[in-house]
Amino acid sequence: MSDTSLPFRPATEETPLTRRLLIGVAVLGLALLVFAPLAAVFTEALADGWAAALASLGNHDARSAIQLTLIITAIAVPMNAAFGIAAAWFITKFDFRGKAFLITLIDLPFSVSPVVAGLCIVLMFGANSLVGGWLVAHGFPIVFALPGIVLATMFVTFPFVARELIPVMIEQGRAEEEAALTLGAGGWRVFWTVTLPNIRWALLYGVLLCNARAMGEFGAVAVVSGKIRGQTATMPITIEMLYNEYLSVAAFSMAALLTALALLTLLLKTALERRHADALAASHRH
Amino acid sequence: MLRTPRPPLIHRSPMPGLGLTMGITITMLSLVVLLPIGALLAKGASFGLGNMWDVVNRERVWAALFLSFRLSFLAACFNLVFGVILAWVLTRYRFPGRRLLDAAVDLPFALPTAVAGIALTALYAPNGAFGALAKELGVKIAYTEWGILIALIFVGLPFVTRTVQPVVEEIDREVEEASATLGASRLHTLRRVIWPMLAPAALTGFALALARAVGEYGSVIFIAGNIPLSTEIAPLLIVIQLEEFNYDAAAAIGIAMLLISFAMLLVINLIQIWSRRRIGHV
Repeated sequence: MSDTSLPFRPATEETPLTRRLLIGVAVLGLALLVFAPLAAVFTEALADGWAAALASLGNHDARSAIQLTLIITAIAVPMNAAFGIAAAWFITKFDFRGKAFLITLIDLPFSVSPVVAGLCIVLMFGANSLVGGWLVAHGFPIVFALPGIVLATMFVTFPFVARELIPVMIEQGRAEEEAALTLGAGGWRVFWTVTLPNIRWALLYGVLLCNARAMGEFGAVAVVSGKIRGQTATMPITIEMLYNEYLSVAAFSMAALLTALALLTLLLKTALERRHADALAASHRH
Repeated sequence: MLRTPRPPLIHRSPMPGLGLTMGITITMLSLVVLLPIGALLAKGASFGLGNMWDVVNRERVWAALFLSFRLSFLAACFNLVFGVILAWVLTRYRFPGRRLLDAAVDLPFALPTAVAGIALTALYAPNGAFGALAKELGVKIAYTEWGILIALIFVGLPFVTRTVQPVVEEIDREVEEASATLGASRLHTLRRVIWPMLAPAALTGFALALARAVGEYGSVIFIAGNIPLSTEIAPLLIVIQLEEFNYDAAAAIGIAMLLISFAMLLVINLIQIWSRRRIGHV
């Protein structure tokens, strides 16, 4: 690294003026696009003071929205984590034809609009569909109920854990697992004592991102939830309903809660990137 | 003559867990992703190609698709330029607050879209902090195309920065020194030496930001105004059709959007293949 206190400028650096200009552009851009909206959430939430903001979070509908979001995340995230681990094991520990195609399929949800994702779930499991009709007749509705919201959430967060683990497990190779097998360890033992300790930080990283997206998913959930107050309205859906009713403080108070969660996610993510960089996928090391 | 045997579908391996992990992978992928997408395509097939075309081929739908595309493209262009600058500044320069800025780049990934939507609207609405300022200048931002553009820039912000940053980190300073030694000005080096190295990653980020913006819903609908033929985005049309229980029409527009996403996915993959050939990594 070159020392900037030197009286002359190395040929591989920009002039101090350009440098300051570029930093200025970066700071100004992020201030307008990121920091200002962040500040707006909290100032709008506290427009009528702390008491009003907290009171709006304490009523029945708000509490049930928070509860619903927690339940959905508690189902969707572990399911996707289990899928991510299984898929990463299958893809990195075995050689088979069509591997690249399988990875493309797993990544597919990232390129599908959340609204289209919700639409797919409605068409598959809605009361008018073959499967959905049968399930409704047997007292197990999917769409406009909890299972539909969970499925929609799983769809949009599907690739997070797998795409985090696959590069890490490719890099680590199979030698350690093979050694453990040679020494007589069984499959589960190899996973718990050899593989999992190697991938735990990458797993945590993927789960963290998956969780943030799962709690905040709006488009896909809006389509399948039916928006029944106190029943199928998640936190983001409740924010929309309150906002459309001009209940600004209530809407922004709930938004502030989700924003605090987003900030916590970023904090943990940054800490992981700094402390355990070599255990994460190469693209996160900086 | 020797014939090379066709490779087996799955190579034999001493690794345990083949059946279990393959089973979980295929089952969950099918149940959560493939079957629902199949249900959309089946709905379209039973509705018929001609009928689907009649749904999509209406002024309101074309207007929405064109609006979504045009503004997503403009937002991705902005993010391409701003993202490369940001990646350069965050990797090459040391200044107070750099780590904070670096972490802030990811906020659009972490912040729920509905929250971003109402926050941006609060700022850029005529009675908001920036909106009032713009009103003084005679510009309306929220509830116009400008508002949609700002929301799309917000959601696409991290893509270019995050794809370009690792490449900037790996650039060998000696290459720049060599360029300088050979008499190139700094600008010339940036244009002819550095940019060609960054271009594939920047284009990948651009395509990802574009793909994300075209399908974006949550952060846009609050700030958009949602006036048919003017500020109505394509995903909103699907929601409107669904609210009227018009599943056939919703499926037709959904399939149109799905085809657009697949086309973009193909482009992203082609860019990556091209970049791998050119510089040996993505």
